[in-house]
Amino acid sequence: MKYIGFFLYLLITMISYPLSATTALLKGELSHSSYQVYLEHNKLEPGQTNWLAVRLEPKAGWHTYWKNPGDSGAAPYFIWAGAEGITVGNPLYALPEPLPVGPLMNYGYHAGSTLLFPLVIEEAYSSLETASLNVEAEWLVCDIECVPQTDTWQLTLPVSNETITSNNTLIFSQARTQLAEPSYWDSNITISNSDSELLIFADKLDVPSIQSAYFFPEADGVLTYSDDQQWEWDTFGLKLKFARSEGMLSPETTRGLLKLAFDDGTTQSYELEPNLTLNVRESMLDPVPLSMPIWQAAIFALIGGLILNLMPCVFPVLSLKAFALISANYKSQRSRRNEGWAYTFGIWVSFMAIVGVLVALKAGGAAIGWGFQLQEPLFIGFLILLMVLVSLSLAGVFYLNTGVEGAGQSFTLKEGASGSFAKGVLATLVATPCTAPFMAPAIGYALTQPLLVILFIFSMLAFGLALPFLALSYSDTLARLMPRPGAWMEKVKQGLAFPMLLTAAWLLYVYDLQAGSQAALFMVVSAITLSFGVWLYQQTSHVVGRGIAIVALIAAIILAVSVSKTMPNTEGSVTNEGQLNYSQIALESELSSGRAVFAYFTAEWCITCKVNEQVALFTDEVQTFMADNDIKVMKGDWTNRNAEIAQILSKYGRAGVPLYLYFPAGSKTPKVLPEVLTKDIVIEYLSNNS
Amino acid sequence: MRYLKLYSIILCITGSLSANALPVPEKPAPDFTGITTAGETISLAGLRGKNVVLEWTNHECPYVKKHYNTGNMQRTQSELTKEGVVWISIISSAEGLQGYVSAEKADELTASRGSYTDYVVLDPTGKIGKMYNARTTPQMFLINKEGNLEYMGAIDDKPSARATTIDGARNHLLEAWKEIQSGKPVTMRSTKPYGCSVKYSD
Repeated sequence: MKYIGFFLYLLITMISYPLSATTALLKGELSHSSYQVYLEHNKLEPGQTNWLAVRLEPKAGWHTYWKNPGDSGAAPYFIWAGAEGITVGNPLYALPEPLPVGPLMNYGYHAGSTLLFPLVIEEAYSSLETASLNVEAEWLVCDIECVPQTDTWQLTLPVSNETITSNNTLIFSQARTQLAEPSYWDSNITISNSDSELLIFADKLDVPSIQSAYFFPEADGVLTYSDDQQWEWDTFGLKLKFARSEGMLSPETTRGLLKLAFDDGTTQSYELEPNLTLNVRESMLDPVPLSMPIWQAAIFALIGGLILNLMPCVFPVLSLKAFALISANYKSQRSRRNEGWAYTFGIWVSFMAIVGVLVALKAGGAAIGWGFQLQEPLFIGFLILLMVLVSLSLAGVFYLNTGVEGAGQSFTLKEGASGSFAKGVLATLVATPCTAPFMAPAIGYALTQPLLVILFIFSMLAFGLALPFLALSYSDTLARLMPRPGAWMEKVKQGLAFPMLLTAAWLLYVYDLQAGSQAALFMVVSAITLSFGVWLYQQTSHVVGRGIAIVALIAAIILAVSVSKTMPNTEGSVTNEGQLNYSQIALESELSSGRAVFAYFTAEWCITCKVNEQVALFTDEVQTFMADNDIKVMKGDWTNRNAEIAQILSKYGRAGVPLYLYFPAGSKTPKVLPEVLTKDIVIEYLSNNS
Repeated sequence: MRYLKLYSIILCITGSLSANALPVPEKPAPDFTGITTAGETISLAGLRGKNVVLEWTNHECPYVKKHYNTGNMQRTQSELTKEGVVWISIISSAEGLQGYVSAEKADELTASRGSYTDYVVLDPTGKIGKMYNARTTPQMFLINKEGNLEYMGAIDDKPSARATTIDGARNHLLEAWKEIQSGKPVTMRSTKPYGCSVKYSD
């Protein structure tokens, strides 16, 4: 029906055109083309938009150009002058045609075109009779060779407040039929190095019997103009495929016109502004050289492991270890040393296990890095339960049996080798959310190396973490300095339950961000049920009581496992005002605008990150400094898995967060800031480069 | 031995790939060999260690005329060549088409227009033009001492054939050069070229 109406309309306009009754404001003949200028309404009404048409007609065999002329040529070029108070907008162009020129492709019109300019005149003109406008007009006419047509126009426009009559309506309505229709379809365009793909979310029923589809992009860099365009229907809609070549510009806009030709011979065209996904190039960011010899990585790992003892993550567990140490007075030298080595071994085994899983997953193609287990709500859930059980055990609510050493000995406080081993495991589990200085480059290096090197570097890290207590376990002097064992030990042990509970609280916060508040509530229920189960089991030896306890334990575990799923589309945490969420496209577009960018990569489970943010990044001093120096801040949240962030981390030699990058204005080579920040460090890095 | 063979196969594949690759900013510019109007054979590889400008040109194209008649192109050439930049004008017009010239005619044009170009390379087969995906005249490429592409695209931001548009235009090539000299990264590495199409034979 729509098309019949359109046809009738076309027929009428064809019969009645050219119109003798039209009055051109101006017309002329140049060497290779002619032009006419029309005003839609005879008079300009102040405050209103009036349309001005410029009709350009080339000689037979020659052509004029669209706003994007394609491979060569030039769009018509108008400079409007002497028109204070008159605003001339960008013109509307008719749908162009593809015009091949040798191996190149141009977009233009072989039979002339009409450009429609919106004109707005200010109220101030209402007292005047006329307004004048000087136009420097230039349009290019080519066949194979090109001849620019230039002219200077003096337009005298009648101004009036009165009712406006017109006799140029048909020229304008005819020009408007040549424009593309606005489209109600959403569309996406994916631009890669050597091709791009336009997906229009159209229903096949809306636009049946398509014979061909062609896309005219407004900007350079979307596609190779001269190559054929392919189209097909797929599950989501109409898909067009284009060739492209590496090194093309990133397009300024994705806007363009879609021309559809139907089986019945009619055509229809639509304006599109697809959402852009840029897969262009590996990245335009310059890498920072990061190779280091293996011995240096090993030393870095050792020092990093040592410093890790001072990081906030490990505190609760270290306090347990310290407690074991001060009760060392009554132990033999031999058993102290055995415990020291058992602790070391516990750390080492845990590191190897985590690294082993990491390497296996990476080999399977997962884009993950150090701390990956903390991106898994199930693992966080497991840690929460473990922390709660350990603290309740410390507080004396119940005693945990390992089942290995026989009854009556507590899991973590148990003297002897297996207790120390358990502490080593626990220390490693809680240490992974932290990154120490030196550690990050060493890990980043290791994970790009063969398996043996990875295991070696991580062994050094494990050894570094274990070293202080291992060394102390060899000191007899220290053991003698420790107080005598007594009743005080029980009190101190109970007191240690509280830092462990705090650790559980923090883990619950991370869990909440990953799995959602409902899951977090269920996790608390699970922890309580589990504790109840353990407590009840130990309170009674009756078959019914034990039965209930076992049911509670199983229920708690099923509940924990079933709710521990990452929420879809979690944003991690809220982005502060004025910050951008990291994506490669967003970063590259900020950089190409020449702005200075500070990008920080963090995760809710990364304590080092959180500490840096509180003591340095989010302080008023640093925030003010960034605002004053017009530094755009970008946040990459790695609380959940994110391949894009994993990619940029590894680009700068990191396997995990934190990572701080500062791109000085106009530079694509960032300065990499250290892992531990202070206000002074941040400001120093940011000011040296701006 | 087996690995050596594999390695050489990979080398061959990547070698042939890079020969087909079009210019990409910040990457090595395609190496070309061309014959100058003096009959001399020059190659980009032979100019390693020097900054090089490639200018696609066609003396009959109105857009080229704008830049030569106003002296804008000559000024740009003088500005860069006095700093030791090697300027190569390339004519890719096929025989019989607009802009095609003999070596003598090309030299005469260089003299009569007061061009500061170091070499004029004749490319009537369009081989170098297609290697660089040269689409318009004028179209510019700036290659640094390491042979990497620093800038490609239009000479300025005024896609007009009118001489009056020279004033106030941003000369992209000159700006890129100034940035390189002051040790800054080039802000605009690629722009859409404007002008007449390169007159290839097919």
